[in-house]
Amino acid sequence: MRRTRFLFQAALVAAAAGAGLAYSRGWLLGSVEKYCPFGGLETAYAFVTNQRFTCAAGELNLALFVALLGLTFVARKAFCAWVCPVGTVSEWLGLLGERLFRAGRKEASGAPLRALEPPRSADRVLRWLRLPVLAIVLYFTYKTGELVFRGYDPYYVLFSFHGHDVRGWSYLLVAVLLAAAVAVPMAWCRYLCPLGLALWPFSAVGRLRLRRDAETCTSCRACDRACPHAILVSTAGEVRSGECTLCLACADACPAGETLTLRLKALKP
Amino acid sequence: MAAVPALVVLFALAGLGSARFFAVPTLTRDFAAGGGSALRTSSFRVDGLKCRDTAEKAFEHLDGLQGLGRAEAFASRNEIRLTYDPSVTGPQAIREALEGPEFDAATGEIWFGRFRVIEIDGKPLPVGTGSASSGAP
Repeated sequence: MRRTRFLFQAALVAAAAGAGLAYSRGWLLGSVEKYCPFGGLETAYAFVTNQRFTCAAGELNLALFVALLGLTFVARKAFCAWVCPVGTVSEWLGLLGERLFRAGRKEASGAPLRALEPPRSADRVLRWLRLPVLAIVLYFTYKTGELVFRGYDPYYVLFSFHGHDVRGWSYLLVAVLLAAAVAVPMAWCRYLCPLGLALWPFSAVGRLRLRRDAETCTSCRACDRACPHAILVSTAGEVRSGECTLCLACADACPAGETLTLRLKALKP
Repeated sequence: MAAVPALVVLFALAGLGSARFFAVPTLTRDFAAGGGSALRTSSFRVDGLKCRDTAEKAFEHLDGLQGLGRAEAFASRNEIRLTYDPSVTGPQAIREALEGPEFDAATGEIWFGRFRVIEIDGKPLPVGTGSASSGAP
């Protein structure tokens, strides 16, 4: 599954980069922001209240966002691990960081800490940084009717090839975010990504869940070490965290065969 | 485990496909429509039409043109749909107006080439047939 996911991710990063380059060279009329589901969320309020779109956002953004909500309700945050090019870049940089900063540190419970992973208590607090980010982005986007945060958006800055509103400081900011992703696995996704937070409630009730068979589990914690979102898989009967991206890194890392399996949880009447 | 990539593909196709079935204009304007004969609607695919601001600019280009009715800009599709009186104006005149020069009152500069019409009613225009090369005034 690791190879399948890698191919998915690589194809989508290449597609985003190709689309961005083609647009910047004038070979394509639509920019990469056309395919961003977060644009759908940014324009959703304006669309519902005034039947209009914000700035360059349009039907495709909104349709992709609605489809993303559907996907998240079924397959948790699979979008983050299988589709999002920023998630992919963050993950690849995290793997680099793993090699650079492998410290073998452990937290109080004995669970291993990856790279410069913050302690679990700090991690829980830091994840709430996404809330003001989401609130500020949505508020000012609606207030101004413009996609005013393009210059801060790593997806746009990375893949638009110096698109509209991208300035020198945009690259500086993204460089800092990428450096953070090397030091702390998935730093942007875990602590700042507004789309990640918007999806979280839908992911928390997502139907497709990883279940751990306690009978066959050897408690080696390879799953905990593999999880890029620092979810404690080894102690869960069923992974309920809304942060689970179904990247299946835990299942790939598990040495005990079918210990971690996916189950579709039925809706209770 | 293969269910995850299958679901991702399924929902991505659903999102990409469903966007085709609804179109909401980024900007709409009613010009002073000429009465008389039956109005006609044409669609123009315009390079340079990217957002609400550029849609407003495009409508400014059309301001002086007679015979226009309703104009709808769809920025995400780079498209302008125009209703016009064919006895007063036509697609070529509309194209020339869209591709024409633009005066920036703030800087006192004249801009050329902000917009380029690349399709009219779904028919691509051959390269090098811009309004400037068509001999239009």
